[in-house]
Amino acid sequence: MNNAYAAFAARRLVQALVVILLAYVFTFVVVSILPGDPITNVLRDPQNGFSEDEIRQIIAAQGLDQPVLVQLWTSLTRFLTGDFGLSMRSSRPVGTLIAEVLPSTLILASSGFAVALVLATGIAYGTQLVPKRYGQGLLRGFPSLFLSVPNFVIGLVLIHLFGFQLGLFRVIAPNSFWATVFAAIALGIPVSAQIAEVLIANLDHERAQDYAAVARSRGLGPFRLFARHLLKPSSLPVVTIIALTLGELLGGSLITETVFGRTGIGSLVQRSVSTQDLPVLQAVVSLAAVVFVLVNLLADLVYPLLDPRVKLVGAASRRPTTADDGASQAVTP
Amino acid sequence: MSLLSPTAPVTTTSRLAALKVPPTVQLSFVVIALVIAWSVAPGLFTSHSPINGVPADKLLGPSAAHWFGTDHLGRDLYARVVHGTSSSVSSALIAVVIAAVAGGLIGLLAGFFGGWVDIVLARLVDVLLAIPHFLLAVIIVTALGFDTTNAAIATGISAVAVFARVMRAEVIKTRQAVFVEASFLLGGSRWHILLRHVLPNASRSVLPLAVLQFGLSILVIASLAFLGYGDPPPASDWGLLISIGKDYLKWPWLVYAPAFVTIGTVLSLNRISRWLRQTD
Amino acid sequence: MASPNRLIATPRRDDIEAPSLQPATPLLRVDALSVSYGRQQVVSDVSFALSRGQSLALIGESGSGKSTIARAVLRLLPNGGHATGRITFDGRDVLELSERRFRPLRGRAIGFVPQDPGNALNPVRSIGAQAMEAAALLDEPDDRVRKQRILETFAQVGLDHPQRVCDSYPHQLSGGMLQRVLIGLAVLPRPALLVADEPTSALDVTIQKRILDLLTRLQSELDISLLLITHDLAIAAERADALVVLKDGVIQEAGRTAAIFASPRSAYARELQADVPALNPDRYRALRDPGFRRREAGATAKIEVRAVTKTFAVDGRTLTAVDNVSFAVPAGTTHALVGESGSGKTTTIRLLLGLETPDSGTISVAGEQLSGRSPATLRAAWRHLQLIYQNPFTSLDPTWTVEKLVREPLDRFGIGTRKARNAQVRQSLADVGLGEHLLARKPGALSGGQRQRVAIARALVLRPDVIVLDEPTSALDVTVQADIVEVLLSLQANLGLTYVFVSHDLALVRQLAHTVSVMHRGRIVEHGSVGEIFDHPQQPYTRSLLASIPSGTTGRVSPSRPRAVVTADAPG
Repeated sequence: MNNAYAAFAARRLVQALVVILLAYVFTFVVVSILPGDPITNVLRDPQNGFSEDEIRQIIAAQGLDQPVLVQLWTSLTRFLTGDFGLSMRSSRPVGTLIAEVLPSTLILASSGFAVALVLATGIAYGTQLVPKRYGQGLLRGFPSLFLSVPNFVIGLVLIHLFGFQLGLFRVIAPNSFWATVFAAIALGIPVSAQIAEVLIANLDHERAQDYAAVARSRGLGPFRLFARHLLKPSSLPVVTIIALTLGELLGGSLITETVFGRTGIGSLVQRSVSTQDLPVLQAVVSLAAVVFVLVNLLADLVYPLLDPRVKLVGAASRRPTTADDGASQAVTP
Repeated sequence: MSLLSPTAPVTTTSRLAALKVPPTVQLSFVVIALVIAWSVAPGLFTSHSPINGVPADKLLGPSAAHWFGTDHLGRDLYARVVHGTSSSVSSALIAVVIAAVAGGLIGLLAGFFGGWVDIVLARLVDVLLAIPHFLLAVIIVTALGFDTTNAAIATGISAVAVFARVMRAEVIKTRQAVFVEASFLLGGSRWHILLRHVLPNASRSVLPLAVLQFGLSILVIASLAFLGYGDPPPASDWGLLISIGKDYLKWPWLVYAPAFVTIGTVLSLNRISRWLRQTD
Repeated sequence: MASPNRLIATPRRDDIEAPSLQPATPLLRVDALSVSYGRQQVVSDVSFALSRGQSLALIGESGSGKSTIARAVLRLLPNGGHATGRITFDGRDVLELSERRFRPLRGRAIGFVPQDPGNALNPVRSIGAQAMEAAALLDEPDDRVRKQRILETFAQVGLDHPQRVCDSYPHQLSGGMLQRVLIGLAVLPRPALLVADEPTSALDVTIQKRILDLLTRLQSELDISLLLITHDLAIAAERADALVVLKDGVIQEAGRTAAIFASPRSAYARELQADVPALNPDRYRALRDPGFRRREAGATAKIEVRAVTKTFAVDGRTLTAVDNVSFAVPAGTTHALVGESGSGKTTTIRLLLGLETPDSGTISVAGEQLSGRSPATLRAAWRHLQLIYQNPFTSLDPTWTVEKLVREPLDRFGIGTRKARNAQVRQSLADVGLGEHLLARKPGALSGGQRQRVAIARALVLRPDVIVLDEPTSALDVTVQADIVEVLLSLQANLGLTYVFVSHDLALVRQLAHTVSVMHRGRIVEHGSVGEIFDHPQQPYTRSLLASIPSGTTGRVSPSRPRAVVTADAPG
């Protein structure tokens, strides 16, 4: 087991590093090479008031007069050392810009995740414990509904109902407690739908297995069946789904921050998109990929340790090879 | 063993029951038919102009004359929603076609040929998955330029990985099927098996996914429009309408009406997708 | 044995006055039970009764409703299932009780042994944890005593290391051991009734017999009533006091086992009896005799396998799947490869077909070397060498029509004009007894037997000399199996085909083979003519295989009666 696990972990680690590097290159290609010349467009924008000399200096300083491959190499090696370059717009280090807004996004994303987890488990476990005539069907409808609502609409509805109608929070104070709570709800609802869908499907699948019927034949009631038999096997695979929803949280915070007027990574991206500030976009997208890949790596590494069913390829089989050993005919009670 | 399983009669009955379309699915088809009709011939459904308003009638609540009320320029909101349908629906269609064709092809090749082809394509798909798909759509539309078609292309590219993964898994499953080996023993060549056996079987699970993704694309494109990355006003894409409405939250129907139409459409598509998956 | 006045199973029509015949009320009594899923009724008006300490078998093929009845008794019908009628257990109406009132009966009074032990235990919980659930049904507050009772019971059901079993997860035990665990958990709370739903159909033949012996022994030791659900008439005849024969959810015949067995009254029971291979070893004598004559006339060997060995690397260890295997098959005869799962029989035929390459040894078909040939020449060989797969539910592409499926080999090998091909397709379907109205159907719209006929027609359409049959009937019901075997044997008689027949079912092999090789752990342990192997087995392993064929001797097998069981592999 240990050797096999080490080999598995090493392979996954290498894979993750390759994906991170490729993601960086991919982003570089998208933001630097695709049609148009946003860089000179930005620099020559009369509003910025750069003189020709200054433009030439900036281009040289950013290495933009170099061949593309050289640019990619410099930018990649800098990225690996944690240097994300300078913002085109403000000439401040991209790392600093990100560090400034990161805490706000982290608060939003983690509270959004908490909302998603509570909602998802509440709905999914509810479908197993609430009888049909007390609204199980309604619970089962929730994930599909949540997936059909654009998350900016959820945000707007929350602002309209709780901000305008009930006056629970003021839109002009986006970092207040209640504003953050509602932003987290808006962010968490669509994410909860994905987790709940998988969880419900797993629970239904496990419930339909022979072992569930056999456990019931031993006199187990619905709650014990759920708690002792269904909960663990159906919830374990969700560890990997949760890691996948991280991307949804990051993408969703882009919209949610705009709707609620919060500063954060989302608003930074939005500002950089409208000003075509490529180094910032490159850094944010690459960092998102790094976080995503690492969290998924962690989930993949932890999962085999949690689930006894997972047999890693190469691990020695402990199943006896004889068909029915341990069985002896001469047994008397 | 399937013959002897105690659940055999159950699956037979559920198949039979599945041939009958459940009421919620029927309703979903009606909704989608209406949305398609709106996008093909919006003029049949409203006589109001989506572009020119009557300033005196601005910000009226929903009524018999204006089903969804009017906006800040006195334009009939129902007319704007109906006329915006075509752009919202066709851009989602573009996105799904791009994602399904590109993703399907990647998945088919990776799954069928395996080895190096699979390793290379699998890493490509990993990369596309690693970047949060909405962020990916945002940077692609930034690179391509802001309009609705580019938003559709960006949405399509961001969904390629989903199709590639499903297709690859299905192809690998089908490739190991007994009937594939049977065809090999009956003289079938690699290409014959790929095109006539693997592709038709593996594609069966792609249709429900495409329908689901159609709904999700409507949402992503609406989000891009909401952020202002689609066609500018006076276009009336659903996302854009909601975005305009958010500045007039005192007149909430400006948000609720287009949101309601979007949710109804996507919910119907989700329901149809789920039904397709069950009937297979 | 039951006295005549303890009549235990009678069809509904005779049953109205039946209670007066019975001095003691039966433990389980089913009256006019019907079960439906939605509008489809799967069990109709079924009545029977089972007394204390007795055993009753529900027999039927797939779709007969036998498992549904078992689940109705336990009130474990899947969602959407609805039962009407009356089920009386120990004086209480099971269907009338609320779930809360019925639950204490499950496990404590009615135990359940499922069909497939591999799926019947929660894969992420240890066996000990699940055993504690059964032990919780004992009136025993002390956890240590409960634990002790579990270990005792595990020992009683023949598990050698009870503590080690408790600490294991289900995937670490073999199917036979898991079934012993499940039986142990079912009898641990000392229920009055044990419901066993095809308890051995997922297990190898030699283990099947041991599990059935265990059930029979426990039944008499612990005085439990047994409701046995099975598709195997021979097993039912051996193990049950009374039989209920079901077809499409309706009782065909019911009564004392010996009576039914001696003179079945219903047409279906007669057909079932005639179709069970174990009971009719000489059924196909007329069709098989031409092959024997060819063999005696010294027909040339169509297939020669010489000293073939194949190893696989599994988990870093080398596994010898096929070890120095040799056999020859005279043209126009059937050679059977017999063995349990893991014996190497499937690998042997994959080598024979060229789907795997042997490490050493030679294989020739019709005088031509097959081993070590290129894909192109192999493809040419497959025109004369075809395979019929075990499961017709997976060997036909579900998206193709019957016509396309059967024509595929002709199209691939480019044989004849389009018109001639279509004619050949129809001829081939006619050969296997299928009508032209099926041409446009897809496999999903065919029954299991029809699918396997389509698969046979597809193999035949190339007019091959040799057909390899990989357990071609093991996924089918016994009456369908009889049809397929008849089709295969008449084709052989008419066309002079050579068959290699792979099976774990010795009774079936006895019906249709001319020569037999018995495989065990990759080696051929014994080979010879079908008469030699079945009448004068030399090897202990062969004898243990033969002993595991249900004899169909009516009346319960007495556990105390010494039986000549020699187990080649049993460690102790």
